[in-house]
Amino acid sequence: MTCPPFDLRDYYFKDLAENERRLTEVHVKTCAHCREELERLRGTETALLTLPDEEIPQRIGFVSDAVFQPSAFRRGWDALWGSAARLGFVSAAMLSAALVVFSLSRPAPQAAAQVPAVTRVALETEVSQRVNDAVAKAVAASEARQVRQTRELLAASDKQHALETQAMMVRVQEYLDVEKKHLNTLILASNGVGSANEDPR
Amino acid sequence: MIFRAVEDADLIRKARRGDVEAYNLLISRWERRVYNYLLRIVANREDALDLSQDVFLKAYQNLRKLDDPARFAPWLYRIAHNEAYSLFRKRRPEGETEELQPETLEGAATIGGNAVFPVELTLAVATALRKLSADQRETVVLKIYQGFKFEEIAEIVAAPVSTVKSRLYTALDLLKAELAPVKARGAS
Repeated sequence: MTCPPFDLRDYYFKDLAENERRLTEVHVKTCAHCREELERLRGTETALLTLPDEEIPQRIGFVSDAVFQPSAFRRGWDALWGSAARLGFVSAAMLSAALVVFSLSRPAPQAAAQVPAVTRVALETEVSQRVNDAVAKAVAASEARQVRQTRELLAASDKQHALETQAMMVRVQEYLDVEKKHLNTLILASNGVGSANEDPR
Repeated sequence: MIFRAVEDADLIRKARRGDVEAYNLLISRWERRVYNYLLRIVANREDALDLSQDVFLKAYQNLRKLDDPARFAPWLYRIAHNEAYSLFRKRRPEGETEELQPETLEGAATIGGNAVFPVELTLAVATALRKLSADQRETVVLKIYQGFKFEEIAEIVAAPVSTVKSRLYTALDLLKAELAPVKARGAS
């Protein structure tokens, strides 16, 4: 088809640019051959359109059934991969999160050298303080315990001494009583012997 | 047309949120067109119905992948195209889709018969379409019967626009040759 300036079929199906369409239109008005060709195209299309659409034999419809529903994960996954914008946003978010985690987990080297020294001094001071406190507390407790035991022992000793003294006094008194009775007996006996010697006549 | 497009977009948004009734309404708008597209490609009513159901099920399951609801029609027909050609491959593993033995669709010529044209012409059209290759027939159906633009057809069949035009113009030349004697008899 060299007669028209552009493809007559593109002209018929309205697929030419505006200036091409105008040029072709002008040409067709003066070219009987091209008009016949257009008529043949129109006739063929008209003939094709005599074939009617059929009614669908059975209506299509779905019920709300989980079997047909994509899972929530699937919907989310599909939505993510089906959208360049969402995918880009998620990728950027993951990259940002990775950078934050990396920066937090990898501190600067000089900071890493200083922190242990400070920590060691503080630890030593704290441990020393705690040990001193613990020792002082233990000593105080021991002294208190010692004093209490001494007092208890003294009290027990005094009590024992008093009991023993009392017992000794009782025994001394009993001894004195016995001795006194013995003396009286001797006195009485001596008096009896004197009387007998004076009165034999 | 714009109002209708907005309505479809609303239904798609609702269907994406799991509203099955909204999707059923969307189906009711498109099922007849999709069924006839498939019917003219596979030339078998039972296959066309089965494929139509598969198409709408797959479309529902993949609705979230549709970035632009305004592109629903080419996207839906792309699914239909894939389903039809998947059937061709199953039936003819070697890929010779033209060798399918279609069922007789004479019934189609009598349903809603057009009084302007004789039945003979309608039958001749159905016969002439069956003589085309599957690719040519599909391009004719998408352009003449479904009214898609060349760019949309290229998207549906996953081929360049130049290939689509080549298939269509070759098919029209063949159809013109096939139908000319019948039209001549009708005119006389």
